[in-house]
Amino acid sequence: MDAGGAAVTVSEREKSFGRILLLIVISLYLLAALFDPASAGQALMKSLSVLKNIAPVLLIVLFLMTLLSAYIQPQKIFHYLGRKSGLKGWGIALGGGVLSHGPGYLWYPILSDLRARGVNEGLIVAFFYARSVKVPWLPMMASYFGIAFTVILTFYILLAAVIQGKIAEKIIPPQSTI
Amino acid sequence: MKREKNTWTRALKAALGTLYSMTPMLLAVIGLVGLFQTYITPEMIHSFFTGSALYDTLIGTVTGAISVGQPFISYIIGGGLSQQGLSLYAVTAFILSFVTLGVVQLPMEYTLFGMRFTLVRNLLSFLFSILVSVMTVWTLEVLL
Repeated sequence: MDAGGAAVTVSEREKSFGRILLLIVISLYLLAALFDPASAGQALMKSLSVLKNIAPVLLIVLFLMTLLSAYIQPQKIFHYLGRKSGLKGWGIALGGGVLSHGPGYLWYPILSDLRARGVNEGLIVAFFYARSVKVPWLPMMASYFGIAFTVILTFYILLAAVIQGKIAEKIIPPQSTI
Repeated sequence: MKREKNTWTRALKAALGTLYSMTPMLLAVIGLVGLFQTYITPEMIHSFFTGSALYDTLIGTVTGAISVGQPFISYIIGGGLSQQGLSLYAVTAFILSFVTLGVVQLPMEYTLFGMRFTLVRNLLSFLFSILVSVMTVWTLEVLL
């Protein structure tokens, strides 16, 4: 089987922005440590705990990116998730959003990778919004706000995801990175 | 078989390279999450609400956007606010924007997706947090 296409690389601009942002965050921690060491330590522990929790999801993201790069042909991506993918595309975006696990920023690398391969921007927007349906937490939501509220909210979230995707499709030109 | 293995190895290396390049940005966002979780407390969020349904719905959307954490935290805060008599519009807007908007991840989103995409997506999410909360509560009131 042929490789689907080279992985999309991170540009120099993105790399340097990441480094600058990290420097800013480190400076914020140093400032916090100077004026309020207890809270700075607490923040650091919370960050480390987040890092520990997201490690398994990162592995899933790495696996999916590898799979995408190795076996998924750009034409296939275009067929299933391009501007003319139709209902199939919306179904995949909504299903993927609902089933995706962990914080949203963990999915940024793979989504930007998919976008660079021609995935419809509207589907990415819909994916992001559909992520607010958190299947494992639905019973807890129902226990706090009731089953009717949970069902109605879930329905409107999915509807809103499609509407937002359709609007985004009109506003965002394909491959907009300006 | 060997060709298959080569393809997989090459793809794995490329994926690792991409993730490695994004590591500083990812660490920065995780660092921000820790800071936000420490300095923006549930008590602080509670203090922003006034009791006016319209104003609180807007405040719910904004505070949800600056809050970080697991979704269940938004249910606990939202449940507490609801018990205090806050309108369900505001509580729904809060729990929605808690998961759909994220101030801490904006820099990463902007870097990877560009200004226009980030702006459009976040503005739409903001508006729809309010719209969906209004529609949900209206529907609930009509049905029950």
